[in-house]
Amino acid sequence: MSEKIAINFTVNGDNESRDVEVGQTLMKFIRDDLHLTGTKSGCEIGECGACTVILDGKPVNSCLVLAVELDGKELVTIEGLTKNGELDRIQKAFIDHAAFQCGYCTPGMIMSARALLERTPEPTDEDINEALSGNLCRCGAYQEIREAVKSASKK
Amino acid sequence: MISYSYLKCKDLAQAYDLLDKEEQVYPLAGGTDLLVGMRGGKFTAKLVVDIKELAELKILEENDQGIVIGAAVTLNEIATFKPILDHALVLAEGAHSVGSYPIRNRATLAGNICNASPAADTAAPLFTLNAIVKITGSKGKRTVPINEFFIGPGKNALHKGELVESVLIPRPYPKGAGTYMKASRTGSVDLATVGVAIQRWDDQVQVAVGAVAATPVRAISVEKAINENGEKDFAKAASLARNDISPITDLRGSREYRYHMAEVLIRRGIEKVMEV
Repeated sequence: MSEKIAINFTVNGDNESRDVEVGQTLMKFIRDDLHLTGTKSGCEIGECGACTVILDGKPVNSCLVLAVELDGKELVTIEGLTKNGELDRIQKAFIDHAAFQCGYCTPGMIMSARALLERTPEPTDEDINEALSGNLCRCGAYQEIREAVKSASKK
Repeated sequence: MISYSYLKCKDLAQAYDLLDKEEQVYPLAGGTDLLVGMRGGKFTAKLVVDIKELAELKILEENDQGIVIGAAVTLNEIATFKPILDHALVLAEGAHSVGSYPIRNRATLAGNICNASPAADTAAPLFTLNAIVKITGSKGKRTVPINEFFIGPGKNALHKGELVESVLIPRPYPKGAGTYMKASRTGSVDLATVGVAIQRWDDQVQVAVGAVAATPVRAISVEKAINENGEKDFAKAASLARNDISPITDLRGSREYRYHMAEVLIRRGIEKVMEV
């Protein structure tokens, strides 16, 4: 049994306290312990972006963060974007533009895009490309994704 | 799951004491190389000491000496720090070319150089800025010029019980433009197949290249041709880089391709900073 450490954090606005195993990644912790399975496991080496979450306001690859590092931090996952049953405008924009096929990359894409719109409300094409540079879509819906982000930024 | 212990350090002394006394102990800053390395078996850690929240390592400031970049400062912070954009654009471009936006929110400059990959994107820019690595440890502090910091692939000049506290871009700053040019298989999230940093210092240039030798290297022959022999044909000067590099063939590119791209990128970079 590996060592456990107590952590306190906020997830999608709620305060939580958990004992986490040292060595467990934030991605595994989100999925297996918090049961928030919207965050996807992809490459697990920071190359695909499927596990992107917003940590203290910044998008990060949750496979490259240890769960213990969550202590004292504020975490937002894809589940945290929906408020009172209402989808976030970026989620709506993805639906409106059919910005996915299989959908596996979508939560990560949306978290990267959400963080972009927080820091740059009216992003240029270059800003969008940069913000999404760490998110791979193997279906190749990049054009629709860019359009979705662009349209969400105008609202 | 890999099993090891974790400790969030309260101060720098605690970190280097543990690095000194314990075996198989690794400092954790951004973690973007360490976590991947531990999972892949490159590093076998018994203890991970988290240094990323230490205030003394989060310093990013300009003072009388120059620009101080603490070991826990992220690459995104570096790529947008005004004094770096104003005086060391080559480094901002190098930092900006690492991985992806989310990776750069975690990854640090100190981690990039300590990992000592010959392809480290921040290394060649630091060579052309004559950066100084400030090291601290249980036996005291010392400084190492960046060109002596890389020993070989994955090997750096740190001794046991030491860690990088900060990297200094010293004054006087270069007069003139600088640029980092990278050839890679994809536009982002790839290591450099060849990475070239060019910095103009008034009428002189400094040229450094990554991923073409066991460590990042200065293209001394190119610099000498331009700075000492007054070579105005930059294509001819760039072709001399062959004398300074010894690339290998790997999955990112062949030896010959790397020779070629080093020459091409050096020529383009020099033309850019010399405004040809």
